[in-house]
Amino acid sequence: MKWILVTSVCVLMVTATERLPAQTKPESLSGIERLEGDWVRVDPNGSGDFGGLASTFTPASLTPQGAAAMEAGQRQAAAPRGPAFAENARHDPGVPYIVVSRPCGAGPFGSGALGINPDSGGIHFVVHKDAIIFAPERGGFRRIYMDGRKHPDLSRWTPTASGHSIGRVENGELIVDTIGITPGLVTAGGWRSVETRLTERFVISPDGRHLTINYRWEDPAIYQKPHEYHYEFDRLPAGSYGLEYWCDASDPAEQQSVTPQSQ
Amino acid sequence: MLTRVTVILAAITMLGAVASAGAPTPPQSPAVRGAPSASSTTAVHDISGFWALSLDSRKVQQAKLLPRVTKALLDLHARQDVHAIRWCNPVGMPLIMDSGSAIEIRQGPSTIFIAPENSLVPRYVYLNRKHVSAEIYDPSTSGDSVATWEGDTLVVDTIGFHPTHGVTSIPGGGFRTDKTHLVERYRLAENGEVLSVRFTWTDPTVFSAPHTYEYRYRRLPPTYEPAGMWPCDPYDETRAQFLGDPAPFRTEKR
Repeated sequence: MKWILVTSVCVLMVTATERLPAQTKPESLSGIERLEGDWVRVDPNGSGDFGGLASTFTPASLTPQGAAAMEAGQRQAAAPRGPAFAENARHDPGVPYIVVSRPCGAGPFGSGALGINPDSGGIHFVVHKDAIIFAPERGGFRRIYMDGRKHPDLSRWTPTASGHSIGRVENGELIVDTIGITPGLVTAGGWRSVETRLTERFVISPDGRHLTINYRWEDPAIYQKPHEYHYEFDRLPAGSYGLEYWCDASDPAEQQSVTPQSQ
Repeated sequence: MLTRVTVILAAITMLGAVASAGAPTPPQSPAVRGAPSASSTTAVHDISGFWALSLDSRKVQQAKLLPRVTKALLDLHARQDVHAIRWCNPVGMPLIMDSGSAIEIRQGPSTIFIAPENSLVPRYVYLNRKHVSAEIYDPSTSGDSVATWEGDTLVVDTIGFHPTHGVTSIPGGGFRTDKTHLVERYRLAENGEVLSVRFTWTDPTVFSAPHTYEYRYRRLPPTYEPAGMWPCDPYDETRAQFLGDPAPFRTEKR
């Protein structure tokens, strides 16, 4: 009988030891490790494209000041940037030739803007107790600090396309607070300034295969009420990996979205 | 009495075992800085943080190159490297590990993210899989990296490099090609304040012997925070005139 007693105690100890990681898991990341991996944005209601999907969201209610800021920002974005960027190539009639005069932008989509407004490229999460990396496949990345730090004073912050993000976990959901984003358009008729606050709530489905990001933009100078919408994502299959998005601004072919047939 | 206790313990043991088997395995938690995790078989350390090289951080030997790797060929790669930088292309390995700014490493349960502050294209190192089949992998500037822990050393194995994209020159001489194989050995030292990385490059078309060198990164304070993205605008005329373009685009580079 003694050996049964000893064996039982040993098995109990081993069982307890094996379960130790769950017991000692940092509370601050509880459940959020499931975010790690690769995801792709989906169109959940068959709108045809993400623009069509955005048209189903409740449009932003802008203040007069917000509407004016958006109009001014759009005017500035549309302004010519000088003769070096003018599109001056000759095109034969009937040949599809859509020209992008500044392909690849300021670096390969690397501003981090796609972390705020993901497109059809994959997104990748790397989850660490101090920071979560949110990297869109087409370049750039966001860093979400999880170590309890506060936002910097905006007077000493150079705005970026993905701003300054701090996160916390509430009920198994990741809540991310972001300020300091460069001014620009927001989905469904919104606008943002450096002071605009974005709160994102990352919700992973119980089976771990689906992710919803809920967006809430708040800025009393721009919005009459918080502007909210959500994006949905599916987890990519196991074995997926981050593709390198190659966009060479020196390649003339990058200036055309349709490559002319060789003559 | 002993029998009764034994039966109770045995019952508890069985219940515990059944509960343990039925419970979903919790994802591996990120390890505490510099300390082994609770992984049962392998001591996993956490190399996450911001790391910087200093004047005394590099120990690079001269590479032993094959006769076919002439000065003219090395110069061509050097010119193409300038072209890649001038046009803000992803630089990739090995420059991503010594680009003139601090590097950030974040070690998740299945993936390690590495990015210098001044590059917008990171590299990923996968802890949970083997190399992607060469039949489907698109060669890239940083290649396909997989890693395992050997005791306290993270061994990163990389293949799948693109032969012309990005900055291809390798410290000490030579350059990467589509036949290049890189093994990196990451190890924390000095109580986690130093990260030693030993790079070993092999390539039957470039090196006559494996080319090994070591960098020792110093950990930046936990409060360190990059100021923001470093801009890179290929259409900045002043910048373009400063850098020049000694190797203009050729169609065969695509």
